[in-house]
Amino acid sequence: MEENTHTLSIDIGGTFTDFTLLDLASGQFTIHKLLTNTLEPDKTLIEGATELLARSGVGFSNLSVIIHSTTLVTNAIIERKGSRTALLTTLGFRDVLEMGREQIYHMYDLQARPAEPIVPRYLRREIKERTTRDGTVLHAPDLEEATGIVEDLVADGVESLAVSLLHSYRNPESEQALKSAIASRFPTLSISISSDVAPVINEFERTSTTVADCYVKPAVSRYLTQVEGHLSEAGYQGKLLVMHSAGGVMDSEKARQHPVRLIESGPAAGALAARFYGSLLDQNALISLDMGGTTAKTCVIDGGGLSLSNSIEVARVHRFLKGSGLPIVIPVVDLVEIGAGGGSIAWTDQMRLLKVGPRSAGADPGPACYGKGGEEPTVTDSDLALGYLDPDYFLGGRMKLDRKAGLRAIATLADAVGMEDHQVAAGIHEVVNENMAASARIHIIERNKDPRNYSMIAFGGAGPSHACGVARILGVKKVIVPLAAGVTSTVGCLAAPISFEEVRSLPGLLEDTDWAAVDRLFSEMEDSGAAMLREAGLPPESMELVRSADLRLVGQIHELNVTLPDWPLSGANVSHLEDRFHELYQSLYSRKNLNIPVQVQNWRLLVRIPQREVKLQEQSPAADADPKIALKGRRKAYFKESGGFVDCAVYDRYRLRAGHHIEGPAIIEERESTAVIGPNDAAEVDSFSNLVIDIG
Amino acid sequence: MAKFDPVSLEIMWSRLVNITEEMWTTTLRTAVSTIIASANDFGCEILDSQGRSIAHAYRSMPVFNMTMPNVTKEILKKYPAESMRPGDVFLTNDPWMCAGHLPDIAVVTPVFFRGQVVGFAGNIANTSDIGGSLDAKNVRDSYEEGIFFPICKLYDQGTPNELVFDMFRWNVRAPDMVLTDLEAQVAANASGCERVVAFLEEYGLPDLEELSAAIRGRSEEAMRAAIARMADGEYTNEVFTDGMGTPLKIAVKLRVEGDGILVDYAGSSPQIDHGGINCTMIYSLGHTLYTLACLLTPEVPVNEGCFEPIKVTAPEGSIINCTFPASVGSRVNTGWYIHGAIFQALSAVLPDRIQAGNGLMSILQTYGVEADGNVFNAHFFCGGGRGATSGGDGAGQNMFPSSASNVPVEVFELNSPVLINAKEFIQDSAGPGKFRGSPGERISMSRLAGHPHPLQIYLHPHRLAFAAGGAFGGKPGTKTVVTLNGETLSDANSPMELGYVTLNDDTDVLTVEFPSGGGMFDPLFRDPDQVAEDLKNGITSSEKSG
Repeated sequence: MEENTHTLSIDIGGTFTDFTLLDLASGQFTIHKLLTNTLEPDKTLIEGATELLARSGVGFSNLSVIIHSTTLVTNAIIERKGSRTALLTTLGFRDVLEMGREQIYHMYDLQARPAEPIVPRYLRREIKERTTRDGTVLHAPDLEEATGIVEDLVADGVESLAVSLLHSYRNPESEQALKSAIASRFPTLSISISSDVAPVINEFERTSTTVADCYVKPAVSRYLTQVEGHLSEAGYQGKLLVMHSAGGVMDSEKARQHPVRLIESGPAAGALAARFYGSLLDQNALISLDMGGTTAKTCVIDGGGLSLSNSIEVARVHRFLKGSGLPIVIPVVDLVEIGAGGGSIAWTDQMRLLKVGPRSAGADPGPACYGKGGEEPTVTDSDLALGYLDPDYFLGGRMKLDRKAGLRAIATLADAVGMEDHQVAAGIHEVVNENMAASARIHIIERNKDPRNYSMIAFGGAGPSHACGVARILGVKKVIVPLAAGVTSTVGCLAAPISFEEVRSLPGLLEDTDWAAVDRLFSEMEDSGAAMLREAGLPPESMELVRSADLRLVGQIHELNVTLPDWPLSGANVSHLEDRFHELYQSLYSRKNLNIPVQVQNWRLLVRIPQREVKLQEQSPAADADPKIALKGRRKAYFKESGGFVDCAVYDRYRLRAGHHIEGPAIIEERESTAVIGPNDAAEVDSFSNLVIDIG
Repeated sequence: MAKFDPVSLEIMWSRLVNITEEMWTTTLRTAVSTIIASANDFGCEILDSQGRSIAHAYRSMPVFNMTMPNVTKEILKKYPAESMRPGDVFLTNDPWMCAGHLPDIAVVTPVFFRGQVVGFAGNIANTSDIGGSLDAKNVRDSYEEGIFFPICKLYDQGTPNELVFDMFRWNVRAPDMVLTDLEAQVAANASGCERVVAFLEEYGLPDLEELSAAIRGRSEEAMRAAIARMADGEYTNEVFTDGMGTPLKIAVKLRVEGDGILVDYAGSSPQIDHGGINCTMIYSLGHTLYTLACLLTPEVPVNEGCFEPIKVTAPEGSIINCTFPASVGSRVNTGWYIHGAIFQALSAVLPDRIQAGNGLMSILQTYGVEADGNVFNAHFFCGGGRGATSGGDGAGQNMFPSSASNVPVEVFELNSPVLINAKEFIQDSAGPGKFRGSPGERISMSRLAGHPHPLQIYLHPHRLAFAAGGAFGGKPGTKTVVTLNGETLSDANSPMELGYVTLNDDTDVLTVEFPSGGGMFDPLFRDPDQVAEDLKNGITSSEKSG
């Protein structure tokens, strides 16, 4: 057997596929970027991996592990390209999936429509059965009847079946009985049951998640099989690990079983990358800005930990508005995503104010300056007009930008709002920065923290051009732009722990908890976690277990996750848990509510195996702090602080060395992104080749 | 650069909206009642020093956004700004000032900057209990509907007004819940005030006056431009509501003249002496303005500027402008018909904008004692089918014109000994049209087997006699039908006398069919593919019923 000298990570996005190959001994990484073949992403994956490995003189058999993140699941849901899916549910409730939470999401728009359900009504079938609120089976489903219904559905071309019954989070018996009866009769049918996928209270959200899971299951399975086939043909003998939404990786078999957990695979990799750099650079309070072509994602990393949320809404149909998408209840990195990216379109509204996004020109036609027929001005057009981007060095010169077309688009908008062209270009930059700062600020303030105490890490294709502006608005004093900022997410993958979280709902007052029942739930979850590790070929004794509970005051909707003390628990722990809850509540809301009893909603078990530590190569410092050897030219760039266009130095990122000091205004170019340093800011290159920018 | 050009105004205005969003989140996360935390029945706003609204949270209850300025101005009349001190917090639930019924409590906190009152953070929330009779349908006056707080200080320079807190403690059913929710409002306002001060400091503004003028000015301009595009003239309409057995009339006349509108409700029925279905003027004003905002300035986050070109009048003593001490607890059964009345009145002049008749939501409530002795009090919000628009079929089932959400079946069952047998679309209910309304929903419920007491379900149904209308040749939706064990309890001519239904046995079944939305344009013009799809999906049972 050959020596395992490297690890490889691969992030497939909507536009580009990124690769990072890490040399385990030296900590040096090599990157690669290819346009994604959206019809056959597996081909892009193997082609890029082969090229990168060949270039580096590394064989597939030298890889210890391959880690993969992908937007496959999200895209299948947004574009409605999953398999033909049906739903089997409790008699009387097939319309729950379509009714949703029955809440308007745009107050003034009478035509704002809810998202179409994934399963149309005629494929939503009912079966007579009922479980009550305490888990009592009032009426068990007739399994013969069920297989009869499924026979019809299969004859109608259904490939996937979701089973979601009322109160199954409390007692999964009936769903499990249906699953085994149906699976034995229809072995090729892909089945997801809600008590497996999302065993939590709230029938709509649970059903929505289960439906999404089995909608993408066949596609995910096919895809992973193709990828594993290519890799093994190429000589790879290790495991394929896949990034899930909660910022960990799981083996490909677990991913096949729980495909909906991959829904935020890409953004989670970005968040992990931010955490990785945060601990590398010893930053305790860090906010990430991952700005791509269509959206910007921000997440908060406090004390080195990612915070998780219990649910996410995906595929929003109306201007990214909350409520216009599909709820998915899974553990997911708590990040906010808004419609702000290089392709975001600037426009004017009924009051002639300048607005940016959330609509995006996408890749086709793309920004006006792509010269592919786009006529509306975008953020990229503004960045070009302001001199931040070099039309001849976009993607390292692989793509020429049409500056005139961009300016034309901006001029049209300038007429509409009655301002000068350059003011509008600067306005677009400023407004999109404000939008990102606003979402980041709300995210931080929801934690009762002050944004001014945070540092920012910026990446993604457009992140480094906007980070200093966003940081200034937030009062953030330090911005870090890692090397290869355009592919930072793949570095996140390298640092991912193997993990999987299980959850069970058992709602009730904390003081009335049936500890024997809770103990049973945890044993169940632990068994399932150990099974996952065994399947992945990992020793179960290496696993770390983190038990926690979602607690809230009776009546509240928002829960706080409290880590449990040593196992087993008993009534004696109630006051400890209550104290922890009140402490957390106090820190978040600056208030206490001791008169309202504490309720427990869910019990959670996180199973985790830490990854091998990733070490990046350190550079010895440059002889001289003066970066003149990296100066590649000068051009006019616009800075509000300087009162307009000023002469600005342009540096080549690849020729910068540790210790180089750059006074703003300055522009620092690498192939996939361009960092803009304001006139009052100054950047320093650290020993890992990161730009560390002081915001003045 | 001009102080408020299209860029700077966009940025500063968004900042203010974000402050109200933070207030909204604080309220949501710290409130404990189902009605606030789960159904989101509240709103948050920032107002200038004169009590004029300038920003509200995206998901604020629409009518609260419209009435908040009035409360604040009334507070300023009683306590002029010079008399206010940091730490003061004002409160009232006066239905004639605030939001039309006693459970809606307004909490208003002045923002102090450099020793001056520069604005207000305001919050209205529907509290879970305000005392008074549980049989809301049979109250005779406001006195029976609960406790009334005239404008008062909840905090005086930071010191709690114990009398007010004690009045709550001794007059409402679940005081801990009510007071915790109230505290959530106070906390949200406090955070709003803090953020406004930080905002002013950051931009070096002395106060909110110029910014307020710019926001209101742009909004007023947008509203006037939209009105000016409408043909001058008088647009009238009448709609009928169930009333308390005898139908009540809402008559509306909109006089469009140049860039202003005068809305008058002369000819509407006189207020009635029981049942809580009277609207106060401020409540009717709120719904009128909300309707016009949807029709004319859907892109403008509403503020005082939008209201300038619109005047609203109604005869005193009518169901639209009732006088104290009329009962007002169930005023939605009248006020929610204002939208349809205005849509229909303006159908000729705004054909692309209006919505066909709306099904309207309802609430079922349980109250009693569980087998283990614990008290339960749970609300089940049920959406109505939306009316069609010129853009397509009705936008689903929801709570319009309220921004509340439903309560999951599993949560409602967990909170009361009820078994829901079905929550499903009613076949052939959608108001037919080229664009159809959204179907109505059927809820069927029983007592949970084993519950030892008779179970009472409180409801105050509407649309029993008058279905949501169609528009431009579209057909009407369906009415509400309440049945117990298959026997109809209510129809057009004999609405239910009691405000509740009792389930005595496990076999008793209460079924409520909630109303659907009206269609738009003649159903003959419906796309054959859509007709086929509705048939395939069982929305309709035959091609004709589409």
